[in-house]
Amino acid sequence: MPLVHEPHFRAVENLVHEWARAIDENRVEAICELMLPEGRYTVQSRFNADRGLPHALMDAHSAAQLRDRIMSMRLANIYEPQHYRHVISGVQIIGGDERALQVRSSFLVVRTLDLDGDMKLFAAGQCEDLVDVSGGEARFRARHFKLDSRVVETLMVIPL
Amino acid sequence: MECPSSPGAVQEIPVAAVRRPWPAGGFTSAPYWVYNDPAVYAREQQQIFRGRSWHYLGLEAEVPEPGAYKNTYIGESNVLLTRAEDGTLHAMLNRCAHRGNMVCREAFGKAEKLHCVYHSWNYNLKGDLTFVAFRNGLRGEGGLPRDFDMSAHGLHKLRVASIAGLVFATFHDQTPPLEEWLGAVGDGIRRVCRKPLKVLGYDTQRIHANWKAYHENPRDSYHANILHTFYGTFGLSRQSQESGMVLDASGRHVYFYTKAGTEKQSADYKDTAANLRSHNEGLKLEDPSILKWRDEFGDGVSVQILSAYPSFVLHQIANSLATRQLLPKGPGRCDLVWTYFGFADDDAETTRMRLAQMNLAGSAGMISVEDAAVCEMIKRAIGDAQEGESYIRMGGSTLESGGNSKLSERAIRNFWHVYRQDMGI
Repeated sequence: MPLVHEPHFRAVENLVHEWARAIDENRVEAICELMLPEGRYTVQSRFNADRGLPHALMDAHSAAQLRDRIMSMRLANIYEPQHYRHVISGVQIIGGDERALQVRSSFLVVRTLDLDGDMKLFAAGQCEDLVDVSGGEARFRARHFKLDSRVVETLMVIPL
Repeated sequence: MECPSSPGAVQEIPVAAVRRPWPAGGFTSAPYWVYNDPAVYAREQQQIFRGRSWHYLGLEAEVPEPGAYKNTYIGESNVLLTRAEDGTLHAMLNRCAHRGNMVCREAFGKAEKLHCVYHSWNYNLKGDLTFVAFRNGLRGEGGLPRDFDMSAHGLHKLRVASIAGLVFATFHDQTPPLEEWLGAVGDGIRRVCRKPLKVLGYDTQRIHANWKAYHENPRDSYHANILHTFYGTFGLSRQSQESGMVLDASGRHVYFYTKAGTEKQSADYKDTAANLRSHNEGLKLEDPSILKWRDEFGDGVSVQILSAYPSFVLHQIANSLATRQLLPKGPGRCDLVWTYFGFADDDAETTRMRLAQMNLAGSAGMISVEDAAVCEMIKRAIGDAQEGESYIRMGGSTLESGGNSKLSERAIRNFWHVYRQDMGI
């Protein structure tokens, strides 16, 4: 594959890691600044995607909707205190045009529960992203987390 | 429609090692050992999941054409739902009658026959045995007994019946017909599932708690407007709104409903609301479009939560429609399988609204994530469960008390009443 998008690679890779680090450091609100205001954030199982079924676990059609979800997580929802650790690999730019680059990466998320320290592989899958680099800074136009398993352990309240 | 099950499918087994005394309060309390005793769990599989109950298998829309099958469970039994060439629905164990191998390995599929890969025993879509490899042996050697009766070695069949496009099955010959069994609660199903359905997707929530802790949850509308901040704060469901409950005559099945926009001011509610974390005037959505809903059934009901004993829930939360199938996976674990649906004739805007509201329910639902958390917190809090019991007297201490109020645990008292009957404990 010719590396025509190579000049953008470091900015794109950094964006993907910035997102994960913001969540892992419990600065979850910061991810909303890493997407365009009209961007899309979706978490969907491969089980549904493979069957052409539209259901998504989380689906925000704007940065504002993602902020609302995070506000709900902070103020409204009840769950055991928990943290994520993202392990990201294989960031690739696989195509794109003036509007956005198509980016792929693999992720693992380990979830640790605060109370007793229970630690478990929580999610694994692929990110299918569109990254806008037109404004000088890289921003997500769309983030689509595709989960390898159809099962969610207990609940998903912190965005991936 | 209904098909007969295999004769003599279920054998009664006497009360196993469950010999603990139930608390003196009867159905007004549940001893914590009932949530984690392996002997209780084993007996539930036999008396309830393979007993005289109907269990939800799926939607007719999931097996839309002849040859379609769905691979699912009743309790821990792996069950296939199929549609045969003549269009009829069938349910059978997904377990070869020969040596117990799994026949279908995919969640959904389409097949002309059901084929066991181990020794090539084939079945038709009704579960009848149609072919056995080397039945007569080879060159005069081997083969099955000469009197082998193909008709006696089909897949283990269940009775199957449907209501409003929802398919249920039972292992037991003596379970009353489905609609009779559901009684008045069948109206709550027909109210929602009034047109051909269309599947929008699946969500499996793995809850590390006993299945009964989850089953009690949607039977309990007392918690709904207290635990779930999202409901109260954004007005989809509050105790101050017009609401009610319908319990079937047997006490097994129940649905609750609330009508948004019917606030009734009362001093009681004002006093209590001030102390409820669930009614938080300070909480504001930047983009409230997610809460926009349409009264599609024309009766003002914004939330209806219906629970059929022992493993089925149907919800209408605004325009989000879903079934929930509760699958026990051992005393300390259960899977809750959410199937989201709309109607086959939904227009694009209606589908968009249903998809937006999926953010409210399910494993990542802004309203409902609390339920799984509470089930797991109960599990941790009851510890080894050798002592202790719950207290279930909201709205009174009898099977009738509490009437049709949502502020009552009447439906939970009725659950424990029928559960103890079915279990003989």
